[in-house]
Amino acid sequence: MELQECKARAGPREFGPHDDLPREYREAATRMIQFHANSEIMGAYLERPFIRQSPSLDRKLAFSAKVQDEIGHGQLLYRAAESLGVKTREEMLDELANGEGKFLNCFHYPMTEWWETPMIAFFVDGAAMRRQATIKRTSWEPYAHAMDKICFEEGFHIKHGEHIMRELATGSRREQQLLQEAFEEWWPRILQFFGPTDDESTHHDFAAEVGLKTMSNDELRQAFLNAYLPKATEYGLEIPDEPRIREEDGRYVVEEDDLDWEEFWAVANNDYAGSHEQIDARASAHDAVAWVRATISGETA
Amino acid sequence: MSSLSGPDVLSADERAAIEALVFPLADDEFVLAERYTEWQVRAPTLESDLALANVAQDELGHARLWYDVVADLGYDEPELLFERDPDAFYHASLCALPFETGDWADAVVRSYLYDTAEGLRLDSLAGSAYAPIANRIERITTEEEYHREHAATWIKRLCVDSEGRQTVQNAVDRLYPYALALFEPGEPTQTDVIESLGLRTESLPSLRGQWIQTTSTFFDSIDVSVPVVELPQGLPEDPGRHDPHVAAWLSLYDDFTRTYRELDRAHTPTITSEHNDG
Repeated sequence: MELQECKARAGPREFGPHDDLPREYREAATRMIQFHANSEIMGAYLERPFIRQSPSLDRKLAFSAKVQDEIGHGQLLYRAAESLGVKTREEMLDELANGEGKFLNCFHYPMTEWWETPMIAFFVDGAAMRRQATIKRTSWEPYAHAMDKICFEEGFHIKHGEHIMRELATGSRREQQLLQEAFEEWWPRILQFFGPTDDESTHHDFAAEVGLKTMSNDELRQAFLNAYLPKATEYGLEIPDEPRIREEDGRYVVEEDDLDWEEFWAVANNDYAGSHEQIDARASAHDAVAWVRATISGETA
Repeated sequence: MSSLSGPDVLSADERAAIEALVFPLADDEFVLAERYTEWQVRAPTLESDLALANVAQDELGHARLWYDVVADLGYDEPELLFERDPDAFYHASLCALPFETGDWADAVVRSYLYDTAEGLRLDSLAGSAYAPIANRIERITTEEEYHREHAATWIKRLCVDSEGRQTVQNAVDRLYPYALALFEPGEPTQTDVIESLGLRTESLPSLRGQWIQTTSTFFDSIDVSVPVVELPQGLPEDPGRHDPHVAAWLSLYDDFTRTYRELDRAHTPTITSEHNDG
């Protein structure tokens, strides 16, 4: 298929493994889905210590199940990426281990305290949910299909995160304070979750033309802001002064220039201090069991 | 057989015997589950990661089933887990032993040894005179059988070449004596009462004998040798229950109680008051 035809036909769930798609399409789709799959793995990696640190048996079970779900999402997404015929799953997992694989900004930052967990499990998962809902209409059918299951499970994760947040927000004064501090630290990163501003987004135009993306980064960011800022205040959280947020025609708009884009690009290039920490730790865990993969590699699937 | 239908009909002696029987079951499952969860996002493949997470969650579920039995005798979850002294736990040290990073053979060998023991232990409780124990056996047994199959399959997969077999052999050599201690009683003074009340219908030495038989037959069939351990002198110095001296356990305990301590949850019971400003 010529690129021109691909663009003309582009629409929700339009293309699948039986279509002879142009290389540009397959590479762009691979980049997007690989990024998404990597993010599932690195998100799981960030949250895994909280399985142990959960303050009740129920929470422990929920965290273990959540981390397991994220690995399952990674598995589904790598399969959806693999079906484009550009890279194998092993190649993508190796790239993640050796620091070439890219993933979501929020998973580059260390998370050490329980009261930080709703920042991922409520806000970031909520942000992910909004983006993923739009991907149900992406043009690569296996990706859209994976999203059906992922969005379903993500709904439970957000409830789990919201429940932890409610517990802290209605807990002792100290718990409320710790939650507020975590929120202030994470809020700007959460707003950067949707990626660079539209004028800086190098891949957006092409991805939109071939139907891989259906909404721009800034559109998603504003939609998230308008849904989640009220939720944050509902739980008694105070919105930090920076980045500035103004109201226009009854809608909240974030002053994007107030966000630290230098840090964002360092993160995006796996070049932030936290990036090295997360990637290296995950890589050494991956390498430590390379012997098992080698041992079973002779098996026929 | 006389039947003890539930917590309300028990004498003080009967309660003590039930606690002595159930705490080790609950603690073994809980602590082992903690070790399994360490493999989450660290297992060799995405598939094995998902499978081991299932096992971990099953074990946590079993721990909860057993903790519920003692909870009905008048304990709450914080008392059972987060506020209990680390030296008041009854798990066998097999469950708490740390392992080298990447030692997947440890994960599957430990699982096989434990789940085989667990299967026998559950069989000996299916006819328990205390109804809340007997009622739980069927559900737990089904899941433990699946775990044992999963572990046995993995052990065989690792034994396809001599290097893989050696890692299995090393794990068996290291873990086997600790696994033998799964058949040590939690509170030795309660053993006679447990048996005379019919809470358990087989003795621990008899269960251990069957376990040695079953595990030896399995490992023989795949050319892995089982260490000969003289009982009881061949057991490790800290083989079993009630040993607060294993540093690995203390560190695990410290980690799993950390949030609970930091949030000072002991003084703000969330069940009784939603809004508590302390």
